[in-house]
Amino acid sequence: MTLTAANTAVVLDSTADFPDAPERFPNFRVVPLYVRFGDESFKDYVEIDPPRFYERLQAAVDLPTTSQPTPADFLAVYEELAPRFEHVLSLQISSTLSGTFASAQTAAETLGGAKVRVIDTRTVSASLALLALGVQRRLERGTTDDEIDAFVARYQREHRLLFTVNTLEYLARGGRIGKAAAFAGNLLNVKPILTIRDGEVIPLKRVRGNQKAFAEFASLFESTTTDSPHLKVGIAHAAAPDRMQALWKMVRAVRPHAQVEIQTTLGAVVGTHAGPGTVGFFWFDDTE
Amino acid sequence: MRESARELVAGARASIEANRRRIDDLNVYPVPDGDTGTNLTLTVRSVAEALERDGPGDRAGLAHEISRAALMGARGNSGVILSQIVRGACDALAETDDLARVFRSASDAAYRAVKKPVEGTMLTAIRAMADAAEHGGDLPTIVARGDDTVVQTREMLPVLAEAGVVDAGAAGLVEIVRGLCAALTDEALAAPPEATEGIGLEAIHQELSRYRYCTVFVVEGDGLDADELEGELAQLGDSLLVVGDREALKVHVHTDDPGKALSLGVARGTVAGIEIANMHAQTQEREERLLHAVSGGDEAACAVVAVAAGNGNRALFESFDAAVVDGGSTMNPSTADILAAIERAAAPEVVVLPNNGNVIMSAEQAAENAVKGVRVVPTRSLQAGLAALVAFDPALSAAENAEAMHEAAGAVATGAVTVASRDVQLNGVSVRSGKWLGLADGEPVVGGDTFAEVAGAVLERLLGEPRGLLTLLTGEDAPELEPLLDEIRARHPELELEVHEGGQPHYPLLLAAE
Repeated sequence: MTLTAANTAVVLDSTADFPDAPERFPNFRVVPLYVRFGDESFKDYVEIDPPRFYERLQAAVDLPTTSQPTPADFLAVYEELAPRFEHVLSLQISSTLSGTFASAQTAAETLGGAKVRVIDTRTVSASLALLALGVQRRLERGTTDDEIDAFVARYQREHRLLFTVNTLEYLARGGRIGKAAAFAGNLLNVKPILTIRDGEVIPLKRVRGNQKAFAEFASLFESTTTDSPHLKVGIAHAAAPDRMQALWKMVRAVRPHAQVEIQTTLGAVVGTHAGPGTVGFFWFDDTE
Repeated sequence: MRESARELVAGARASIEANRRRIDDLNVYPVPDGDTGTNLTLTVRSVAEALERDGPGDRAGLAHEISRAALMGARGNSGVILSQIVRGACDALAETDDLARVFRSASDAAYRAVKKPVEGTMLTAIRAMADAAEHGGDLPTIVARGDDTVVQTREMLPVLAEAGVVDAGAAGLVEIVRGLCAALTDEALAAPPEATEGIGLEAIHQELSRYRYCTVFVVEGDGLDADELEGELAQLGDSLLVVGDREALKVHVHTDDPGKALSLGVARGTVAGIEIANMHAQTQEREERLLHAVSGGDEAACAVVAVAAGNGNRALFESFDAAVVDGGSTMNPSTADILAAIERAAAPEVVVLPNNGNVIMSAEQAAENAVKGVRVVPTRSLQAGLAALVAFDPALSAAENAEAMHEAAGAVATGAVTVASRDVQLNGVSVRSGKWLGLADGEPVVGGDTFAEVAGAVLERLLGEPRGLLTLLTGEDAPELEPLLDEIRARHPELELEVHEGGQPHYPLLLAAE
């Protein structure tokens, strides 16, 4: 059975920070999570875009909270897709970070049949978007379930994700700080260099100042990659466009042939947990 | 036997106390933090105080006790070297009164303690005195030889020659031996004792505390014994003060266990006027709670003990979970202070950051005497210590941390702006007492009439090679910084700038560029 872009839909959730995916690819959909300020609830990207979110975040007395899509939200999308596609690949944020995967699974079971496959990607944000783009490349040339599984497994092993935050407070409040807690609470402007491994936030190192954080990104990027158009890169920022620009320049200088496939703003949901000033850097050497 | 030991040490103590200020003034760098006279005095004091308590009266027992007291009370590099001289002398004294053997053993122990022995220091003085003893000299002859050597030190070290002073440690050591000699021969001290300023309760009270709770209460009862209560409270914390009479005692102690302190009072009478204040900032507490609640409380493999002076600096180090030993304003922490912090740290291994060149040896002594696995990263400034701390990871071993922290500390260029406490001529820089003095990586580089001029010159030196981040730690009595900050921002627009109130004494401004 051959999977193609014509017979297979891809469903992301909004934590992929890839809101224009459905515009670029007719077989893509995005199911939004929710962000809540007090009694007001908004659909991520749909009812609150990043600029408005960060503006509100700045003024908020109490920090917002987030919640996963309901199974009904997923079911509505799956039902819309079911008559038009033979297969649905539903790629979700790591189940260790959100209950989104569980909602999607419930919806898939409710729909019945084997049409929808829900995949726990064990990652988040632009790294989820890069994975989806890799899947799409394979769909566009024709692929199989087995090949997709092998690709996802390889992506999970080989993709790299680095991020740094202005303060670990946002991760701590959301309970998503993991082992990085040991790096928190200091009074110097320390930038922790963080990654997500097996769905958990892991501290790699800490340095002082943005310039050193980027130097750290650059050195890890350089030591783990070779220059080629197969090298796919994503950059994401939370209300820090100049930092994204600086990272982009770094990528151009270090690996001029790499393809920067994703440059995005962290949406309201990921932004709630990472906080303003966060910069994420993602890469993966796809072989095609 | 104990009584005569007591008298001998009292003689040494009187002599060094009388000369403390003079020896402090011999310090090459005219900044009164951890001066040699003060460090030697406190080290001798610790021996004298140990002997005042009851203890062994036999030769071997006394020798062991005195060695231990000198080691535990050792402050600063000079205090540590003195403690080794005392140990060497005591090792011999345990068996003999032969002066030649005693001085030679003292000299050998001192040389062994220093990794790279430098002549023109205490080491030269103790060796010269040992030579004199071996040539059959009596104590007065040995002291005379010591005096000659002290004068010669001026020619032996270029830095002393330039500053036109003799070596402070050597001078102090000879004063100690002179005091021993005077006590033994029952003669008055050769040099008349000058009035000295005590480092009594007041100074101790002003020290910052590593403990969380400031606890104050009054005990009322009959036949209260202040000394006895003080002794028991001393086990619980520091900044200890017990004053009053047999009917009422006022107690002040910084401790992590105020309940235990109160129980000691309740056991003796009625307790009143209880005040317990949490000295740590509330915000920090809140954050700690928040973070530790979600982190699942992984056991740390390694902890940090850091020496720091100034409220703000203490808070900076503590915000990285380092246990802070007070660097003191005019004295260095003792080996025992550092050792206590090491043993109290909540991890099986510890990295120590001395953050002052004059504390490195005490830290190394503490490390050697600790039960835990300890590494010393020999940081010579607070700024280097902070840079090292950023590289610390509690999940790694002390050895792994020490390597990463050493590298991080080495990557930072440090500077300081201070006021010369007397005329100084060093490295071709000439500064008059009361004028501003700028240092880069510990060396004087500029003097001047205004803070702005000197701070600017230090800055340009630090920023001589491309740097990404500049950290400023303001001290007590720091001048207005805004003009300097504006200038930095204008001249180095790319530079990230961080300013903290450090609160350190003696240095209105500390700088770090990395």
